[in-house]
Order: sequence, then structure tokens, then C-alpha cells
Amino acid sequence: MKKRLLIVEDEKNLCLLYREELTKAGYKVTAVMDADTALEQLKKHSFDLIITDIRMPGKNGIELITQIMALRKDIPIIINTAYQSYKHDFMTWAADAYVVKSASLDELKDKIKELVG
Amino acid sequence: MSELRKDIITGRWVILASERGKRPDDFRPAAPEKKEEVPAFCPFCEGNESKTPPEVASLRKRGTRPDQPGWRVRTVPNKFPALSRGLPPERHDEGIYQWMDGVGVHEVVIENPCHLQELPDLPLPHIQDVLSTYRERVKSIEEEYQYKYVHVFKNKGREAGASLSHPHSQIVATPIIPKQVNEELYSCERLHLQLGECIFCRIIREEKKIGHRLVARSDHFCVVTPFAPRFPFEMRIYPLRHSPWFTSLTEKELRALAKTLKLVLCKLRDVLSDPPYNFYIHQASNPNLPHEAWVNLEKSYHWHMEIIPVLTRVAGFEWGTGFYINPVPPETAAGFLRS
Repeated sequence: MKKRLLIVEDEKNLCLLYREELTKAGYKVTAVMDADTALEQLKKHSFDLIITDIRMPGKNGIELITQIMALRKDIPIIINTAYQSYKHDFMTWAADAYVVKSASLDELKDKIKELVG
Repeated sequence: MSELRKDIITGRWVILASERGKRPDDFRPAAPEKKEEVPAFCPFCEGNESKTPPEVASLRKRGTRPDQPGWRVRTVPNKFPALSRGLPPERHDEGIYQWMDGVGVHEVVIENPCHLQELPDLPLPHIQDVLSTYRERVKSIEEEYQYKYVHVFKNKGREAGASLSHPHSQIVATPIIPKQVNEELYSCERLHLQLGECIFCRIIREEKKIGHRLVARSDHFCVVTPFAPRFPFEMRIYPLRHSPWFTSLTEKELRALAKTLKLVLCKLRDVLSDPPYNFYIHQASNPNLPHEAWVNLEKSYHWHMEIIPVLTRVAGFEWGTGFYINPVPPETAAGFLRS
């Protein structure tokens, strides 16, 4: 059975790219563009992994992770951000991996594979 | 009129703007700060041990297992470290510039399992456990010869740089001696040659004699506001026994330091309404490595703690000149803190 991924990414083109690439890689992907929609999705459906950006309008990724932890501590989370500096925020420890965005999606795909197969 | 004062060790000048003299009340927030609440999730709280990397040390109830509840003080490596353990890094040249791999250690000391219990709230034996953890972790890291300096520090409150309110301190080991520490070591060596004794031992003797800047003293430690402080209510804890290394503390001295630290943090809380603060330990470089340029390091340097309440902002003048403007003379600050 296909693993279900929830992607939270506010940049539209990236959101489409992730959905396309990860669908091709064999995952069932739900891509949303803000934290509140992600929380709604989480309440309605079950996911095997969440991939979230940090800097987003409205609730940021750190706030989103905190709320996800209160709902479901067992879902692995990957932080996918352009910034190294959020590593200093210990709340990111709630996530299982921290991937800095790059032109290639190889590292992200490797982490997904490592966490959910 | 304001006064310019020079720090004898760092050579840094400060402007004491005494005509702008303020009372502790001036630094209190206009409205009481919102009481800290436990967040919906905290990776440092008891029960969430699986969200941190495996612990490298802990003090815990007999019979409890590592990375399980039952701990009093727990040390874990940084989950997403900026510096990672590795072989001694080589310096590379790139034109006129130099760089090296980011080798180092970054650990977090979770001071207690309870989110809302701050360091001064803890009973003395628990504070001693935290200090003992610092000592043992520093000793252990110093056995790895690639790390020249091990820095222990605490940021309390967002304004002081803490990203998470759960009480914690940090330990960072670097493959080079940080510039500020390096300059202090050089300066102490030079002053030792001039004076024939450790400058800190001299400062302690003078401050105890004068008394204006003395905040507290015991058989093992004294607390002073330095002659040329960068910040209002800045304090130093000096051990009375000369030693360059924090790791040389005996159990008896650890107990005394716990008592002194609790007193200092309680005074900050009482006099300044629980401000954000930073504290850190300054000690000599890794004793297991050759002392490089310092012939008399063991005699010339004296470990100590610096405590800095975050009450003013460092801005363009300070960044651009290295001068600091401090609106509270240290004698005034010590008076408030003693009372």
C-alpha cells in the first residue's frame, strides 16, 4: 500500500513540484499551502509522514509542529526549509529530520525513504 | 557627568552614564510579564525522551533506564548540530581567507524534568547536580584532543536567546579557542608578568577590601559587579581558590557554588523582576593540550562565571565601536543587589 505524505509548503511552484516528484516516486501525496489547512487534513485523514516548511504566512512551521505533537506524536516529521538557522530552535527537535532546501530533491527523498520506506 | 572606565583584563572601555542613573524599578516591565505556560509539546519535558537524541549522561532514579522518565538532570547531544564530532579539522587556505570543517560538540543540559521549575526554584542539591553535570561533561569532552575550548552557558528567556522555555543550559566545544577567551588568556598572562600574581586574585582581594562592588561572599566564592561592566547589574562569581579550570571544583566547592548561584539568580528575580539573562563560565583552554603561547597559564588565569541580565539593547554604537553605554554604575547596582 502506498505511503501517505502530507506536504506543507507555501510556495506554489515548489508545492506542485514536490507533489509531482513524490507521486512519481510512489507516494500518495497531499500538498497544502498553510499550517491551518494542514491541521484540518490531519484531523480528517491519516498520514505516514509530514513534510513542512518553516517560514510560512500565518502559523509558521514551528507552531505547526507544536500543534501536531499535541494531536499525534507518532507521525514522523521532516522540516524542509531554506534556512539553517532554525536548527537553533529546540522545538525543531520534535521533528525527525531537518533538510535544507536545494535544487535537488535527492536528500529529501532519501530522508523520506529512511523514515517511511 | 558620565565616566569612561577601562576593563583591566579586556582593555574594553565603557561609558558609565551616571547622570542617566536609574533605579531597578526603571528596568521592570511596565506590565507584569505573562506567566510562562507549558506549551502543547516540549521535547525536553519528561515523557518526551524519544524526541531527543540518546542521552550522553543523566542523573536519575535508581532502577530507571536511559532515555526513559525518572531523571533529574539529562544531557543530550544537539539533534541538528551546527558543529559535529569529527577528526581534528585542517585549516584550508582560500586566497587570503581561511576555513575549516565545522567540527565540534554541542550538547544540551536539561536541568530538570519540570517545564516551569527554573534554576533558582530548585533545591540546592539539585542545583549542585546541574553544576556537577557541567563539570563531568566538560571533563569528558576535554579528553577528546581536537577540542581546544569547552564553553558552558545558559540563555534564559527569549530576549536572552532561549528558543525554548524549558530550563536548559548548553555546552559547546570548539576546535579553536574563541577570540574573547584567547584575548583574556593573553591579557592575564601579560598582567601576571607585570604584577607577579593572578589578576583575578588581585581583583578579588581589592574588591573584598573596598566592598562597594561586593554583592555577596562566602568561604569559597564572592560575587561582585565588575569595575567596568558592559551592562547594568552585570555580575561575576569568582572562586576564592585560584584555579584556571572550572573542572577542578571539589564537591564542597560545588555545593558552595550552587548556593552562590541560587543567591545570585534569586537576587536578579527579586531586584529586577525576573529578567531574561545569560550566564557563562570562562575557564582556560583544554588542560589536556599544550598551552601554546601561555607559559604561566596555570598561575595567570582564574576561572569564573559571568552573569548578564538582559535589560538594555546592544545597538549601533556598541556594535560599531566596542564601547558600551551602561546607565547603572556597578557600585549602585551592587548596593541594590546587596539590599
